[in-house]
Amino acid sequence: MLVKLRFILWALVGVAALAGIWIALKPPAELPSTAEMPLDTIGGPFTLTGSDGQSFNSAGLNGKGTAIFFGFTHCPDVCPTTLARLSKLRKQAGGDDAFNIVFVSVDPERDTPADVGRYAELFNTPVIGLTGSVADIERVKKQFGVYSAKAPLPNGDYSVDHTSTVFLMDRNGKFVATLAPEEGEQVALEKLKRIAA
Amino acid sequence: MRRTSIAFLAFALASCGEQANPRIEISDAWARETGAGQNTGAAYATIENTGGADDELLAVTTDRATMPMLHSSESVNGVSRMRMLQSLSLPADGTVELRPGGIHIMMEGLKSPLKAGETFEVTFRFKQSGELVVPVKVEAAGAR
Repeated sequence: MLVKLRFILWALVGVAALAGIWIALKPPAELPSTAEMPLDTIGGPFTLTGSDGQSFNSAGLNGKGTAIFFGFTHCPDVCPTTLARLSKLRKQAGGDDAFNIVFVSVDPERDTPADVGRYAELFNTPVIGLTGSVADIERVKKQFGVYSAKAPLPNGDYSVDHTSTVFLMDRNGKFVATLAPEEGEQVALEKLKRIAA
Repeated sequence: MRRTSIAFLAFALASCGEQANPRIEISDAWARETGAGQNTGAAYATIENTGGADDELLAVTTDRATMPMLHSSESVNGVSRMRMLQSLSLPADGTVELRPGGIHIMMEGLKSPLKAGETFEVTFRFKQSGELVVPVKVEAAGAR
């Protein structure tokens, strides 16, 4: 009897040791990515701040499809490249009215409503620039499964690493598809046509 | 016999010496228009090394930005980030394209907005080929 109990106790010690080893060796959590989000939970209603400084509700986008991109105005390469690409493809998909292009700042500490407005205007086509309080932006990032983090630059300034996936929503604000920068123009155009009026 | 080999060796070395120079050509240098208040911009170009030896782009400078640097945009798991490059290898007989979403000249500390239609100069400094001053044309933000 005692031998059996001793055996069970030692077995428990063994299990605990293995669990400890597993915890120690387990790979670190990966960056959160939209791929891990159940697709039907992406998006949902939100309220942010428009370039005029007034509150902007996502209900105002309904009636048209929407391509939403998260970025920041001090972003010199990926953000303007994405917005330029969306603008060009929208013309091919049916014109400037075919769907909304929305730019949401993930750098609300620097990006004022006027900043996102000026940035959006650069593309000579309607682009809706949005920013908000840090809490507002965090909430919307979570709704879309968007990641962002400051990355320091050598001169004390910072850049922002961020999800560069574009989210395509239908005329009722329901998630349709994502569009990655790596996807070819033809694939991108086909996807955008699905949300075009 | 020995003399012939030496002569041949000398000839081989000399002809190597003739070929072993990189020749750099920079084309299609352009930058994207920026808005008021934006402190960063990006410039792009195609760098061709038509010579027989490797070269390396060591630095870029311009009057228009306090800290221009070579950057590469990279996307991992859908997250894009910029990585600073210390230098850029230019293999013999090769072409390296600085293009949107890839390697670019990050114009950190823009002194004034880059206006569509204007041209400014960027100096490219190479390890072997010295310096090349190239006019960079500013294109409309939505142009490409």
